[in-house]
Amino acid sequence: MSESNTSQDIASLYRFLAQCMQYPDPEWMNDDFFNVFYNLLGSLGAVTEGKEIRKALEQSSDFIEDLQIEYTRLFINGVPHVVAPPFASVYMDKSIQGSFALRTLNFYRKKGFAMGEEADLPDNLIHELEFLSLLTEEEDYVGEEEFLSTLFRPWYKCFCPRVAEETRHPYYRMVVTLIDFFTKEEEEDGFQLNEA
Amino acid sequence: MQYGMIIDLERCVGCHACTIACKAEWEVPVEFGRNWVKRLGPSKVGNELASTYYPGLCNHCAKPPCVDACPADPAEMTFKDAKSGKTTTLSVAATWKDPFNGTVQIDKSRCIGCGACVESCPYEARYINPAMVDDVSSDGKADKCTYCMPRVEAGLAPACVQTCITNARIFGDLDDPTSEVAKYVKKGAKGLEPKGESIGPNSRYYGKKKDMTLLFQESTPELADMGSVKRRAMMASMVKPAMRKARDLGLLGLAGAMLVKGLSEKKNDE
Amino acid sequence: MAFNLTRRKFLQTASLAAATVPLAKFVSAETGVAKVSLEAQGTMGDTTVVGGLCEMCFWRCQLVGKVRDGQLMKLEGNPKSIDNGTAICARGNAGVKLLYDVDRLKYPLKNVGKRGEPIWKRISWKEALDECGSKLKAVVDQHGPQGICVFPHGASAKYPMHYFERTVGTHNVSEASFFQCRGIRDAAYVNTIGKAPGEFVDMANTKVLFLTGSHLGENIHVSHIKAYINGLQNGAKLIVADPRYSAAAAKSDIWVQIKPGTDTAYLLAIMNYLVTNKKYDKEFVTKHTVGFDKFSAAISEWTLDKAAKECDIPAVQIKEVAELLAANAPNVAIHPGRHVSWYGNDFQRERALACLTGLLGAYYVKGGWVPPKNPKIGKTSWATQEHGDEHNLNVSNNKMVHPFKPPGTPTELIRDCAITSKPYPIKGCVIWGQNPMQTIPNQEKMKQVFNAMDFVMCVDVMPTDVTMWADILLPESSYLERHDEIKVGVGKIKADDKEPTQFIAPRMPLVAPMFERKDQVYITNEIARRMGHEKDIPVQTLEELVNKTLESANITLASVKAEGGIHLQPGKSGYGVPEDFEVLLFNEEIAEAGFPGAPTYTPVEEVPAGYARLLYGRAPVHTFNRSQNNVWLNHEMPDNPVWLNDEVAKKLGVKDGDTVGFINSEGVKSRTTTTVKVTPGIRKDAVYMYHGYGSANPLMTAGVGKGVDDQSLITKIAVDPETGCHGMRNNFVKLQTKDDKTLDFPA
Repeated sequence: MSESNTSQDIASLYRFLAQCMQYPDPEWMNDDFFNVFYNLLGSLGAVTEGKEIRKALEQSSDFIEDLQIEYTRLFINGVPHVVAPPFASVYMDKSIQGSFALRTLNFYRKKGFAMGEEADLPDNLIHELEFLSLLTEEEDYVGEEEFLSTLFRPWYKCFCPRVAEETRHPYYRMVVTLIDFFTKEEEEDGFQLNEA
Repeated sequence: MQYGMIIDLERCVGCHACTIACKAEWEVPVEFGRNWVKRLGPSKVGNELASTYYPGLCNHCAKPPCVDACPADPAEMTFKDAKSGKTTTLSVAATWKDPFNGTVQIDKSRCIGCGACVESCPYEARYINPAMVDDVSSDGKADKCTYCMPRVEAGLAPACVQTCITNARIFGDLDDPTSEVAKYVKKGAKGLEPKGESIGPNSRYYGKKKDMTLLFQESTPELADMGSVKRRAMMASMVKPAMRKARDLGLLGLAGAMLVKGLSEKKNDE
Repeated sequence: MAFNLTRRKFLQTASLAAATVPLAKFVSAETGVAKVSLEAQGTMGDTTVVGGLCEMCFWRCQLVGKVRDGQLMKLEGNPKSIDNGTAICARGNAGVKLLYDVDRLKYPLKNVGKRGEPIWKRISWKEALDECGSKLKAVVDQHGPQGICVFPHGASAKYPMHYFERTVGTHNVSEASFFQCRGIRDAAYVNTIGKAPGEFVDMANTKVLFLTGSHLGENIHVSHIKAYINGLQNGAKLIVADPRYSAAAAKSDIWVQIKPGTDTAYLLAIMNYLVTNKKYDKEFVTKHTVGFDKFSAAISEWTLDKAAKECDIPAVQIKEVAELLAANAPNVAIHPGRHVSWYGNDFQRERALACLTGLLGAYYVKGGWVPPKNPKIGKTSWATQEHGDEHNLNVSNNKMVHPFKPPGTPTELIRDCAITSKPYPIKGCVIWGQNPMQTIPNQEKMKQVFNAMDFVMCVDVMPTDVTMWADILLPESSYLERHDEIKVGVGKIKADDKEPTQFIAPRMPLVAPMFERKDQVYITNEIARRMGHEKDIPVQTLEELVNKTLESANITLASVKAEGGIHLQPGKSGYGVPEDFEVLLFNEEIAEAGFPGAPTYTPVEEVPAGYARLLYGRAPVHTFNRSQNNVWLNHEMPDNPVWLNDEVAKKLGVKDGDTVGFINSEGVKSRTTTTVKVTPGIRKDAVYMYHGYGSANPLMTAGVGKGVDDQSLITKIAVDPETGCHGMRNNFVKLQTKDDKTLDFPA
């Protein structure tokens, strides 16, 4: 496989992970989406987990609403406090829009990107994944590594276990685990990560 | 010239505005503070009750123990007198006392984050800011009150002074006899000297007699055992470059990986 | 979970069938490389945005924002301010952390679970507003406008409150600032001098400052505290009556360690002493007071000795206080207080303060009570309409239940009606900026009210405890993100100015609202449209509302902004007693209504054996329960240690720093624990703690389990008969140790 194809695939992967973290809406959360999702799990060997998610969705009378409620509880407002806001600053500065958000924004700028009109806060997980996608598209692996190690992993490693432990839906446990998997630097080739 | 700060306890109401303004101005992490307010009493002082506050900050001491404790390699630095424009070059470690304005400052880029200065300060005015990480220190950097020198140089009051709601904090040159701070010293404003020591704290307190008694009774610090601080600092300064080299050669990464691998294999076996 | 590949291997080999979803969130732009320095750069170089008006508390200091890249870095006092100047308090400074609080409400939410045990689902604004409009309309259609009750608080709640009161037409509005705070004071002074007193004491120029249970120095209102400290620095003597050695007591010349609940007896004795010894201001009394004879006869029983016994203080001390006041009259400041809903006998105490001021001739004089001559602005809002008293709960058999109530309907009347549906059903509840769970006594009763509703909606910035009881929860833009409330006042540009200067400071946004937060005019108008009141809508936007309000002062938001966020104009000093000014020492109207016409002391319930009276108060870094989740403020004072008398502590075997919980005389236990502060600075029959702590929510990132919620222990309800306001210091507690042992207070 050529270098540029690989980078395109990785870029797509980041985009797809970002999509998984959007507020659930039948517009995109359809059969096509889940086919890709199960496919991805299958190619990683996570067949059992895929089945578990499929079961949870099939058993529900309105799985979209289930996921909307769970999304609200996890990422927007819980009862009455949110489990894991998807913003870096929350973990690094203990607030929304802390200096970590600014550092993240500055990194985007350093790489020639700015926030779009419709964008949320710069340190929103979705945008960080989109940014990683853009970097890999440009084959800027050094930038990708630097972003992951200095601006992404330091907070994501706090965020991920909170969701994984607190979530009541296997879908979100899988999504954060996937993101964890694809952003974590291997300590050594061939060594089996075993977390979550 | 010696910058100093007066805290007038007759005026202070213990509102903590100084502490929060400083946090905002200098992006101090939530769990630390470059200054603080402690509430003292109500307690008996002699036969009467007293209750007052201990608004503390770096004392920019005449003989700062933190400067002596810094083990970082000395470097030449040129200082400039803001008034006369005169310059002088000194060899200083990563923290020093400015020969012109008397403030104690830190060079973040050279700080190795060993924490010796933090331990040597009897006022606990320093902390290691873990958010400040670079190639020199992955543990963070020493941080503290600068008497807001960047603000003062821009013609502004220190953030804590500007926000003080009762003008209980007064900043200025203690060496200038016409300054308000010097007048307070003449009236009897005193610094919190560590027990039995004389290091010349330049943040000073003024207040009613019973309040001053309570403040000194409850907030007089002790000097750290400099022997052990120095020993730790020496070790840190010797070890740090070696660690850096080890990291440069990728040895640390490898060691870390093996360690993790070992643990994870054990887990898998279970 | 285990994936059977490594990331790298997967990326190298797998043929990835990931969906590529086109997202244009990032737009490429040519920007320079920003240098990231380890050293914080300070806010000196940031953009200054003017027009901020603080609402961390309700004093409303004027602010500027320091903005970097659209992010608010810091708040400072507006240098143009002649009120707070460049100073703001800890809470004001910490506004940044409310703005960016992780737990802040972000999107409209619908409760798809139960009230009290909500399950939230994010919904669109359209769906949320449709739901609010149709549900409230259904209540009005079925039960009439009186079927809606409203619990408002703060600047943003005014516009919707007027809508429900004036346009929809319900009397059932209970504002915390009135019925659980200063309403009694305002009512008492209105019925004594014809005006609400504010805190208009000329402290900076006074010779004696007289405080009764005040939190000056613990309740920080910047310009007020400035005047207080300037007065003391100018040599004013300070008299403080308080069971506790408060922040003010620590600065006092005379500390009167009074028995809780007996303040009125103390005041009556001072006044009786002044009258009997002819030490009152005869000229003022002749010219400006009414009912002196009846008044002096009514209070004549209050000798120094009688009061000394009742108040548990030395008679000589009361005499010393009275003499000091008389010697310095009329330049003495009798402070009306602020939070005064203490014991259910508070209207008479506040009347006594107003009368004492009169006896000393301390109205409209230097160092006395001097109302500011404020600039005039308009009052744009929903048009007032007459709705009659048929459904006014405060009118029963053509008689007023609480004839001297502040605006709105007394809280207990609303709650009892809602729970019993008598005399009529109340089925819709609108909560706007208030947290009745932590402001109104007896949390269980509040829950019963919510459970009796067909529909509950809540608008707030934070997910406070009460929001758990909402069906629809709407996120509001904060005071830093919207136009709003106009602060007016007077001040001096230079300290030695002869005449004061007037200022007008309308609130302007310092940053744009994030997520889907909306302001009160948008939300109220959209609901009004859905309830059929389209034609009554007075303004389309909040900005328009403020501009219309400013019209009569001949200024606009734009012109004020150009002036630096504050409009200044020449003013006049408030000294000089108006010819027609009257102090009703004896008020016939009060007597006719069946209450004492002269200030009268009614004893409160004694502390039962084994208990201590629970006193609560203000922490300088918090505003009520509103700021407990603010990370900066929380770090300053993370919990509320309970003050315990040192001799009592010794007898109980409790040490400073020990962990304790509480049980009250009605058997209610505190949900959490706090630490003990052993001090000689409190009476033996009382304990004291800061109000506004002890959130029980495990997901509250900053405030969870920190300290004790004093409100949860205030279950016994006392109501001030004249005003219908609550008294909240008639509850009694015992300490409980970690191993659940209950400790009896020694006799």
